Amino acid sequence: MAMLYGLLWRLLLLLVHVNTALVSWLRVRLRSWKGRLWERAVALNHNPDATANPVTGNRDDGRRARWLSDGKALEKLPVHVGLLVAEEEPSYSDVANLVVWCMAVGISYVSVYDNHGIFRKNNSRLLEEILRQQNLLGVDGSKYSIEFLSNGSDKHNVVSCRPTVKVLSPEDGKQSIVQAAQQICRSVENKERSSKDISVSMLDVLLRESKNIPDPDLVLKFGPVNSTLGFLPWHIRLTEFISLPSHRDVSYDNMLDALQRYASCQQRLGQ
Amino acid sequence: MSWIKEGDLNLLEKISANVLKAGPMPKHVAFIMDGNRRFARKKNMERQEGHMQGFNKLAETLRWCKHLNIPEVTVYAFSIENFKRTKEEVDGLMELAKQKFERLLEERDNLEKHGVCIRVLGDLNMLPLDLQELIAKAVVTTRAHNKCFLNVCFAYTSRYEITNAVREMAWGVEQGLIKASDVSESLLSECLYSNNSPNPDLLIRTSGEVRLSDFLLWQTSHSCLVFQSVLWPEYSFWNLCEAILQYQLNHKSIQKARELHQEHQALQQLEADRACVAEHLQHHGNGKPADAQRRQEALLHYTACREDRVQDFLEALKHKRNSFFSDLCSKPVLA
Repeated sequence: MAMLYGLLWRLLLLLVHVNTALVSWLRVRLRSWKGRLWERAVALNHNPDATANPVTGNRDDGRRARWLSDGKALEKLPVHVGLLVAEEEPSYSDVANLVVWCMAVGISYVSVYDNHGIFRKNNSRLLEEILRQQNLLGVDGSKYSIEFLSNGSDKHNVVSCRPTVKVLSPEDGKQSIVQAAQQICRSVENKERSSKDISVSMLDVLLRESKNIPDPDLVLKFGPVNSTLGFLPWHIRLTEFISLPSHRDVSYDNMLDALQRYASCQQRLGQ
Repeated sequence: MSWIKEGDLNLLEKISANVLKAGPMPKHVAFIMDGNRRFARKKNMERQEGHMQGFNKLAETLRWCKHLNIPEVTVYAFSIENFKRTKEEVDGLMELAKQKFERLLEERDNLEKHGVCIRVLGDLNMLPLDLQELIAKAVVTTRAHNKCFLNVCFAYTSRYEITNAVREMAWGVEQGLIKASDVSESLLSECLYSNNSPNPDLLIRTSGEVRLSDFLLWQTSHSCLVFQSVLWPEYSFWNLCEAILQYQLNHKSIQKARELHQEHQALQQLEADRACVAEHLQHHGNGKPADAQRRQEALLHYTACREDRVQDFLEALKHKRNSFFSDLCSKPVLA
């Protein structure tokens, strides 16, 4: 009897996998069909003079304007978006694309995370890729210049109005909370404060000192794993989580869809 | 209405349960029971009625979990943020809680029969005193039961819980039980309200919202998260099966991630111990650098001492927490 149930269970999983594969295949077909429709619509709307002169600059201007207006059209735009890559072997160019699109649409802070700490270890490679994508996509370097902060380099209080990219790893999660706790306990040990003084805001301020960015409003999770995998536990108390199947070959429209879903969500904040 | 719903699953439900049980099953499931008020609006009933239906659904869900051999369930009943609601609604919820805990005490024989242990997690001193006393009675009465566990988060947020854990560790330092250098990830976990439970394997949030709302943020860092659009009072056995299936699909990859994290944790602890030993040897050495063997012996000795200290501290903490409940029980219940 147990063997029969075992077989039935394996069959169930198989059916689910087949269903998932079918859905994602349909999604790809739908996207390419939508893409072709869009191209035709754009071609129809375009000024004949502009189309007669296929200079890359014009196309890029059009794209940048479109991205900016897409951002303005949203009811609400997240201030900080976290890109949680829950897949093996990350693709730097796809992540770089996402970062550049997020900033082009008007998002001020973008963080990148994976639970192996791969992005943190290959910090410079990611930065190179982002700069390259900026150039490729014609995004004006000086307007959207990135402050690339890896942990520990922002000890000074910099109020940054330029888009900021942060590369995060599991150490920024529980380990940071533990370090803050140690700091507090040391000051108690040195009789500088009492345990009764410890409050939520004290811990919050300490945690924000080393990571001078606001809590993520939105996390885009890429990959099939349904977990936060250790991403900033303290900071995600009100974060919306939107899942996308993969970061590989992700398109601008995928990202915009997710932002539109975010814009329509309602936060009651306990009330 | 009762906390415990008797009754078996029907044939189809039984078969499905057996199929699921052939795969890995979560041992601890957490629920954010969201959607009571929207349900009430949808059915044109009073908000209070929506909350009552929500409670009934909880009892039913516990019955399903028992049949699925899920021994531990944690639920988010009332957040500290919910105090911001209208006085009328908050008072209504407090009154509902009082009724439910009174009912629970009436059913204590049944609870004993099923071996149900009730724990209430949160900053309970924010609650009205008579409710605190009822809660304390429920907790103390069912403390020894060990077949299944229900953790009710009441007057709870994760940030308050983590802060409280830090406060407890600071208290331990003040009492001279532990040193600041003993503070670690595992020690912090042991100081949370949920320290008697393993981390949830599966977290389910109903009503379509896709956020955690300050619930078990520390404990669910490597849990399977399932967001379902059904409103809580309409939750069905099949919704639960769907969530468990998600857990089973994610099981291997989450397990891998968990093990990776535990490896890192162990490494971190070893590094911290080494650093303390190195500092100690420097201060108490006779100027000559210690050889590898001496360092290794010192490390083993230091680790053993640290573990003893931590054990004593945790015993003291457990005693402090038990006393909090026992003291409340010995107060006469206000009429």
